[in-house]
Amino acid sequence: MCAEELDFVEKYDLLGCIQCGRCTGGCPVALRTDLRVRCFMYDTQNEERLEEISEKPEIWDCTTCYTCAARCPKGLEPLEVLIGLRSLQIEEGKVQPTVRDALESIFKDGNPWGSPRAKRLDWASDLDVKVLEPEAEETTDVLLFICCTDCYDPRVMKVAQALIKVLNAAGVDYGLIGEDESCCGSEVRRLGEEGLFEMCDEENVELLNSFNVNRIVAISPHCYNTLKKEYHGLKVPVLHYTELVAELLEEGKLEIPKEIAKVVTYHDPCFLGKQNDIYDEPRYIITRIPGVEFKEFDRCRERSLCCEGGGGKMWVESESKEERLAEIRIEDAKEMGAQVVAVACPFCLLTLEDATKVKGVEEEMQVMDILELLAEAL
Amino acid sequence: MKDIFVLIEHRRGEMRDVSVEMLCGAGKLGGTVVAVLLGKDVDAFADKAAGYADKVLYVNDAMFENYNSELYQKALSALIKEHGPGLVLMGNTAQGVDLAPALAVELGAPLVTDVTAVEMDGDKPKPTRTFYGGKLDAHLAMKDADLYILTIREATFQAEDPSKSGEIVKVDNPVSEDVAYRKFVEYVEPEVGDVDITQSTLLVGVGRGIREDKNMPVVEELAQAIGADLAASRAVVDAGWLPSDRQVGISGKTVKPKLYLAVGISGAFQHVTGMKGSEVIVAINKDPDAPIFGIADYGIVDDLFKVVPKLVEKIKELKGA
Amino acid sequence: MNMVVCVKRVPDTSESEVHIDASGKDIDKSRLSFGINECDNYAVEEAIQIKERLEGNVTVISLGGKDSDEVIRMALAKGGDDAIRLEDDAFAGGDALAVAKALAGAVKGLEYDIVFTGALTDDDGYAAVPVALAELLGVPHATYVKKVEILEPGKKAKVGRELEGGLMEFLEIDMPCVLGIQTGINEPRYASFKGIKQAAKKEIAVKSAADLGLDAADIGEAGSWAVLEQFTPPVVGEMAEILEGEPDETAAKLAGILKEKGLV
Ligand SMILES: Cc1cc2nc3c(=O)[nH]c(=O)nc-3n(C[C@H](O)[C@H](O)[C@H](O)COP(=O)(O)OP(=O)(O)OC[C@H]3O[C@@H](n4cnc5c(N)ncnc54)[C@H](O)[C@@H]3O)c2cc1C
Ligand code: SF4
Ligand code: SF4
Repeated sequence: MCAEELDFVEKYDLLGCIQCGRCTGGCPVALRTDLRVRCFMYDTQNEERLEEISEKPEIWDCTTCYTCAARCPKGLEPLEVLIGLRSLQIEEGKVQPTVRDALESIFKDGNPWGSPRAKRLDWASDLDVKVLEPEAEETTDVLLFICCTDCYDPRVMKVAQALIKVLNAAGVDYGLIGEDESCCGSEVRRLGEEGLFEMCDEENVELLNSFNVNRIVAISPHCYNTLKKEYHGLKVPVLHYTELVAELLEEGKLEIPKEIAKVVTYHDPCFLGKQNDIYDEPRYIITRIPGVEFKEFDRCRERSLCCEGGGGKMWVESESKEERLAEIRIEDAKEMGAQVVAVACPFCLLTLEDATKVKGVEEEMQVMDILELLAEAL
Repeated sequence: MKDIFVLIEHRRGEMRDVSVEMLCGAGKLGGTVVAVLLGKDVDAFADKAAGYADKVLYVNDAMFENYNSELYQKALSALIKEHGPGLVLMGNTAQGVDLAPALAVELGAPLVTDVTAVEMDGDKPKPTRTFYGGKLDAHLAMKDADLYILTIREATFQAEDPSKSGEIVKVDNPVSEDVAYRKFVEYVEPEVGDVDITQSTLLVGVGRGIREDKNMPVVEELAQAIGADLAASRAVVDAGWLPSDRQVGISGKTVKPKLYLAVGISGAFQHVTGMKGSEVIVAINKDPDAPIFGIADYGIVDDLFKVVPKLVEKIKELKGA
Repeated sequence: MNMVVCVKRVPDTSESEVHIDASGKDIDKSRLSFGINECDNYAVEEAIQIKERLEGNVTVISLGGKDSDEVIRMALAKGGDDAIRLEDDAFAGGDALAVAKALAGAVKGLEYDIVFTGALTDDDGYAAVPVALAELLGVPHATYVKKVEILEPGKKAKVGRELEGGLMEFLEIDMPCVLGIQTGINEPRYASFKGIKQAAKKEIAVKSAADLGLDAADIGEAGSWAVLEQFTPPVVGEMAEILEGEPDETAAKLAGILKEKGLV
C-alpha cells in the first residue's frame, strides 16, 4: 500500500472534526449495532492504527444512509471514513464471501446477483419494449436505466414492469439498454471497491453516451444518485422516475382513472430524500391517485429512518439481536393504520416487505413501489 | 469378447453399492465378468461378488487393508497384464477418480470418467457422460486400443438380485513391496454437532412456513429420517429457531448438497441464490405459485404439517425394508 | 516451497441455458460469461496461503488463449509470482489426457514441490487431470483434497481427501507431488480490481507445443483418450414435477423418488 492512500487525515479532513457527536447521535444503526461513527473520526487520525481499525466488524454496519453527514456541523462526511476503511480490507482481499461473490459477479456479469447477462431482460420478456441502438440517428426522449435488482429479483421485477405500464399510458418515448446494461456500481463504491467502481463509471459513461437520448431516467435512487453525482462525463441529465412521473402528471400527460381507497404512507428512501432532496415528487404522485388517504410517518423527509438496505448491506448481515430498522418502520406504519407502505426504491421494497412478514402483518399491510400503486390505478 | 474387470470398492468393512451395480451392468455388456477384489480378510465380499460375477480374483494381503491408490495401481496393472481384459470398470468415486487416470496413463489405455451410460461396439465401449454440470449429454468415441477403462457414476446401473456363482480365485499379491511415498494414516469422521451446512450432502431447508419454534420437531424428524442436516431461510434464523450458521442465502451460506428439501420456504431470490446449485431440489409448500417451484425438480403443493409426517413414515418404511 | 497452480478459464453455465451449436460438438458461448474454474480458485488460495506461511514461489499455469490472461492475472493479484500460458492451435479439442500432457510439458521445466490443480473442471468434469499429470511426471498424487498440512517443507505433507458422506481419508505424501484440490478447502480471497490491474504489469510467458517439446500427434484431439462425437440435451423438465394426490400418496411418491436417486 502506498502512503498517499493511507492519508486519511487529509482525505477526510479529520482534523476538522470537533468530536461533537452529532453524527453518532443521528446514526440509525447505532440503535442496533456497535457502530459509533464519531470514534472513527478520531481513531483514524493515527495512521499506524488504520490497519487494525479496518479489521473492526462495525465498519460493515454502516448503511451509507448519509444521516451523519447531513447532521455534521462542520460539513464532514463521516461515512466516507468507513468506506475508506472498507477499501483497506478490500485491497487485502479480506471480505465476507457474500461480498466477494457480489463483487466478482459485477465484474463478470455486470450484476451483483450471480445471474447471467443473458437473463437481464427477462423481466420484460412479455412486454413490447424498444431496445436502443447505440449511435442511432433518431433521438429517443428517455433512456431507462433499470437497476440490477429490478432486472433479476422476481419481486422487484414487478416494479420495472409497472414502470413500463405507466410510461406507455403516458405515451412517453423511451428505450431500454438491454443486455449490455451493467450495474451502476453504487454498492460497489460503498463496499469500498474503488477500482471496480472506476470501471463501472468509465464503462457506463461510455455506453450511456453512445445513445442518442435527451435524458436518462433511473428506476432506483441508488443508480440515480451514482449516475448523477458520482459519474464523470455523462452528456445528458439524469432523473429519478418520480421526477419524470410527477412531470407527466403535471403536464396532464398521465391520467389516473381508477380509485384506490386505501390508507397509504410513504417511506423516504435515503438516497432519494436525504441525499438528493427529492421529497415532494413522490408525495405529489401518491396524492394524485384518487381515493388515497395519505398519512405521513412521524419520522419523515429529512428525519426518515433508514431501512438498512443500502451501503452493501444486502450482502452483510449485522450481528445484532435488536429489531431491524425496517421492523420498527412497519410497526410505526401499523400504528398509523397504513394499508400500503409506498416506497420508491428496490432495497426499501425488499427490506420493508420482509419486515411485514416478520411482524405478521403481511395480510393487512402491503409494501408497494409507487409505480405499482400507480399501475394499479391505471 | 474379452473379459470385463470390475474393481470392487470397499471401505471400513463395507462393500460399496456401486460395486454390485457395476457387476450387474457389466453382465449386460456381454463377455465374462471378473470381479477384482483387493483387501485384507474380506472373504465375505468375495462371496458376495461371486453372486454377480463369473469369476472373482481375490488378493488377500495386509497391504490392502486400507485403500492406497499407488498400491492399487501396481496390483491392478499386474493383474491386467496377466489376464488381459478388454475393459476395466471402476466406480466414479473418490477412490476410482484417484486411481483410474494414473492407471490409464501407465497402461496407455483410453479412459473416460463419470460415465452415465455405455454401449459396446464389439470390444470397444461407446460411453455417454454429462458436460456442463449435467446440462448436456456428451457421446464419446474412444481411441482404438486393446484395453479401455471407464469410471462409472453411481446408480448408472441397477443393482439386481444375485444370479451367478462365480469361481473365487485367490491370487498371490503381485505387489512385492509397500510404497513409502504415499501412506494411509487414518479415517476421520465428519464432525458431529458442529454442523457445517456447506459440507452437507443432504439438507432439509426450513422456512417461515414452520410457523413456530415448537413445530421444529416436525422437520427435525424429517432430517433425521433422511440423514440430512437442517438448514434455514433467514426468517427462521431471525426468529432464533436455528443458529445463524444454518442460514442459506446471499447473507448466509451457499450450499450445493445432493439433495435440498425445502419445507415451507417461499423461494425468495435471496434464499435461492444460496441453494440453487443443489443437485436435486424438492419443495414442499402450500402455495402453488411459490417461486421455489420454479427451481425445484420435484414439488408437493400441500400443507407441510400434513405431508412431512407422512413422508417421515414412508422414508422409515423404505429404509427399514 | 516452490508451487505451481494450474488454472482454467471456463464458461459459467451454472445459471445459463446451454445451447448446442451447429457443429453439435460445442456450445454457443457468445452469451456466456467466463471466469476461473471453481476448484482452481481454491487451489490458488491454498498455494498462496502456504506461501504466506512458509515462504516460497507460486507459478500460475493456464492452457488457453489470450482470454485466459484474465484468470491468470486474478491469481497473480492474489499473490502468484509468475505465470505461463500454453497456447497453440494444436491443443484444441484435447481431453483430460491431452491437457495433462501439455501441463506436464510445462511443469517439467520448473522446480516444484507441489503442483496444485482443481479436482475437476466445471465444463467437461473429467476430474482426471491431476492424477494423469502426476503419472506423467512420475510423482505421487492425491485428489479430492480438502486439507493440506505441510509436515516438512519440500519433503512431506499430510493431506485429507474427501470421500463420500464427508468422511476424510488422511494420508502422508512425499514431495514433489500433485494435489487435486476440492472446493471448500479454504475461503478464497477477493482479488481487488486495483490488484488485478497491478498484476497486469507482470509478464506472462506464452509457450507453444514446440516450446514444450510436444509432438502434435500427442496433444489436442489426436493425443486424447476420447473425442466428442455429439452433444445432446438431457431430458429434463423446466418447472418442478408436481407430485399429485393426498398427503399419503405424495409422500409415498417422494420417498420413492428419493430412494431411487440414492438420496435416502
Ligand atoms: C438484504 C436482505 C438480505 C437477505 N438475505 C437472506 C438470506 O441470506 N437468506 C434468506 O433465506 N433470506 C434472506 N433474505 C430474506 C428473503 O427476502 C426472504 O424474506 C426470506 O428468505 C423468506 O424466508 P421464507 O421463505 O422462510 O419465508 P416466506 O417468504 O414467508 O415463505 C414462507 C413459505 O411457507 C409457505 N407455507 C406457510 N405455511 C405453510 C404450510 N403450513 N405448509 C406448507 N407451506 C407453508 C408459504 O406458502 C410461503 O411460501 C434477505 C432479505 C433482505 C432484504
Ligand atoms: S458530526 Fe461532524 S464534527 Fe461532529 S463528531 Fe461527527 S464528524 Fe465530527
Ligand atoms: S451513513 Fe448512516 S449508517 Fe452510516 S455512519 Fe452515517 S448515519 Fe450511520
